[in-house]
Amino acid sequence: MEKRNIELVRALQNEEIFLTERPFHEAATLLGWTVEEVLQRVRGLKEAGVIRRFGAALTPRNAGFKSNSMIAWDVPDLRAEEAGSLMSEHPRVSHCYIRPRFEGFPFNIYTMVHGNSPEDLARIVDELAALAASSSYRALHSLREFKKSSPVYYPKALEPQDT
Amino acid sequence: MHTSIDGLDALILNRMQGDFPISEDPYAQIGAALGVSGQEVLLRVRGLVERGVVRKVGPFFDAKKMQYVSTLCALHVPEERLEEVAALINAYPEVTHNYLRAGVPNLWFTVIAESTGAIQEIIREIEEKGGVGPVRDLPAKKMFKVKVDLKVGE
Repeated sequence: MEKRNIELVRALQNEEIFLTERPFHEAATLLGWTVEEVLQRVRGLKEAGVIRRFGAALTPRNAGFKSNSMIAWDVPDLRAEEAGSLMSEHPRVSHCYIRPRFEGFPFNIYTMVHGNSPEDLARIVDELAALAASSSYRALHSLREFKKSSPVYYPKALEPQDT
Repeated sequence: MHTSIDGLDALILNRMQGDFPISEDPYAQIGAALGVSGQEVLLRVRGLVERGVVRKVGPFFDAKKMQYVSTLCALHVPEERLEEVAALINAYPEVTHNYLRAGVPNLWFTVIAESTGAIQEIIREIEEKGGVGPVRDLPAKKMFKVKVDLKVGE
């Protein structure tokens, strides 16, 4: 990635700027750039998909989604792409991935599912089972959160030596 | 917690999960669409952050397009060693999520780093220092794009 975009990515990771009235002005001040350049480059990164989404992320539990789970599904490999594509369109699925199976764990599609109640969650799982055409799954309910943080991209220490 | 989200909060949340305006006055723009001032929107958003409803406002990067590599790992840790092994794993800044989950294996964590080699090295170290058996490395073969975010208040 271009050096100026790396600098921009670093500035945008100062999350507190997005809780001010004019976040991109704050970013411009941090960088010593014009706000026009900040806006133009942010739009460019979004168009290129480097920024896949811009906005607010919820803590589902605190936003009324009291029953959340990671559900791993066993779907025959030949149908996995189709099943994953259908499940990812369900409005209560926030993440959907195909991953390798492993010994003692024959599941290959992982979904994060969010319900308002245990009954709501069970209903969603039934709907997903129909979409995936598979009733073989495991609910990996979380029992304890040890860590949850945002990744840090391009920490300052790794700055290229071409300044 | 749900009771503390009123109609305007829900409207703001549903709007802001999707598209935060990339403009000079994003909050004023959101406010204009909802018939309130930008200051009101910003106050509401700050309140939602304080109450833990909103975890973050800002950009979400595509790790792959940033030339980063990520994976999900799983290992089984006996109850009496959980605290210690979880702390060992958490110590890596490259580890962003780490959860105890029902079933076997029971400890699931995500790693994001600049190369597959760097991830392999972390996994090897955790296996060596943790001494509780193999760490399953489960990189996504395919990531599906989710259509919408969670609609609040439905």
